[in-house]
Amino acid sequence: MIKWILIVVLIVVIMLIAYSVSEQIKDKYDFFNNLKQFLNQFKINVAFRQEKINEFLQKNNSKKQFKIFIEEYSKFLKTGELCLQRIKVLEDDDKQILQDIVKNIGKYDAKNEINQMESFLLIIDEKLSVANENKNKLCPMIIKLSLLFAIGLAILLI
Amino acid sequence: MLKEYLDRDIYNLIIKSFSFSDITEIRMRANENLIIVVKNKKYYLKDDNGEFVKTNRTIIENFVRRASENSIYAFNDNIVNGFITLAKGIRVGLCGNIVTDGNRIVTVKDFQSLNIRIPHLIRNCSLPAFDYLVTDEIKNTLIISPPGSGKTTFIRDFIYQLYAHNISKNILIADERNEICSVVNGEPNIDLGGFCDIYTNCTKKFAFKNGIRSMCPDVIVTDEIDLEKDLDSIIEAINCGVNVIATIHAKDINQLKKKRNFDKILDEKFFSRFVVLSNDEGPGTLANIYDEKLNCIYCRCV
Repeated sequence: MIKWILIVVLIVVIMLIAYSVSEQIKDKYDFFNNLKQFLNQFKINVAFRQEKINEFLQKNNSKKQFKIFIEEYSKFLKTGELCLQRIKVLEDDDKQILQDIVKNIGKYDAKNEINQMESFLLIIDEKLSVANENKNKLCPMIIKLSLLFAIGLAILLI
Repeated sequence: MLKEYLDRDIYNLIIKSFSFSDITEIRMRANENLIIVVKNKKYYLKDDNGEFVKTNRTIIENFVRRASENSIYAFNDNIVNGFITLAKGIRVGLCGNIVTDGNRIVTVKDFQSLNIRIPHLIRNCSLPAFDYLVTDEIKNTLIISPPGSGKTTFIRDFIYQLYAHNISKNILIADERNEICSVVNGEPNIDLGGFCDIYTNCTKKFAFKNGIRSMCPDVIVTDEIDLEKDLDSIIEAINCGVNVIATIHAKDINQLKKKRNFDKILDEKFFSRFVVLSNDEGPGTLANIYDEKLNCIYCRCV
């Protein structure tokens, strides 16, 4: 009986790990997708309404990791210090891009601000397509491989 | 007031020695002593050791960054005109390197000096002139004074007095520099009564033309007119039957006479009252009032 319980627990644990890894990959895609939307909306804001960054950030109601980014950005506007440690789904070079975005937004007149956003959007598009590819390929693969691994392990234990 | 914009140490030193309600100007120049103007008297700010506080470019740049809320694009139209308007009508004059693209001013960079002007709402300061400017109708009025002598304070109070005297006229305020009403997030920071429609941060030409068409004003109030640039708009408004109350920079009526286009104003009698303000007893001191023929109808006893 204990043996069967252990096998079930093992399968569940392996699947949970696989699920959380694939969620991270999806979160990264979602993050860049949100960032792209954010920059596009910001472009429209600059071109049309010219709300200040703080007001613009307050209207953002993103969730998960991007919400952390918005919180850290708001803090940066007050204190001048940017801390991106809490955003777990990003690697160091991704965080560097975020830093560049945060430190360059709001420094130019409307026309050049929009140009600046467009150049960032090109970089984000590349990141987004890689994240999308990973999401489409890696996520199902991780789930399938983990399932196979778990079943294999179960058979061995039985 | 100004706490969120000023360098923390400087702010603390200022509130130790002065009351913000008395300060009219704070002047910062890179590598020079910081000057506080209180009731027309200039004071150097001193630190705890009694030494004069100097400002530097970093302090000035940080002030501009905070004042623009890290959003230069939202303020650049003002910055190219040399100022930023903060909450409560505080106006920050900026000096620095002008960046141009052909004939167009793109922005200002490397800010070197700031002049922070803190407005004061002086209730009833326009009352001594009120009966001269409002009889059975509101007279077209030009308010004349040198910079910093209370023109804007005067017209703010005049607008409020119209409301307080229940003179129910539609008042359109063409507030090119957002100084009269200090509109922040769509709401005026200054109580001007309930009869006002406000255009902020737009040219007088736009405000006059579109305001007359769309808002049906009885009176248009505007600040700091340029007799070369704005005269056509003013004439157009007056000829449409709208009264105009405007301010202009000049020390006195004689200096005003030397301005280009003033002859035209006088010949055509566009303005029926000329109010001269002075700094003699503080900003907003009513010095003289002239009629359309420049006869003095009020003279301050000295």
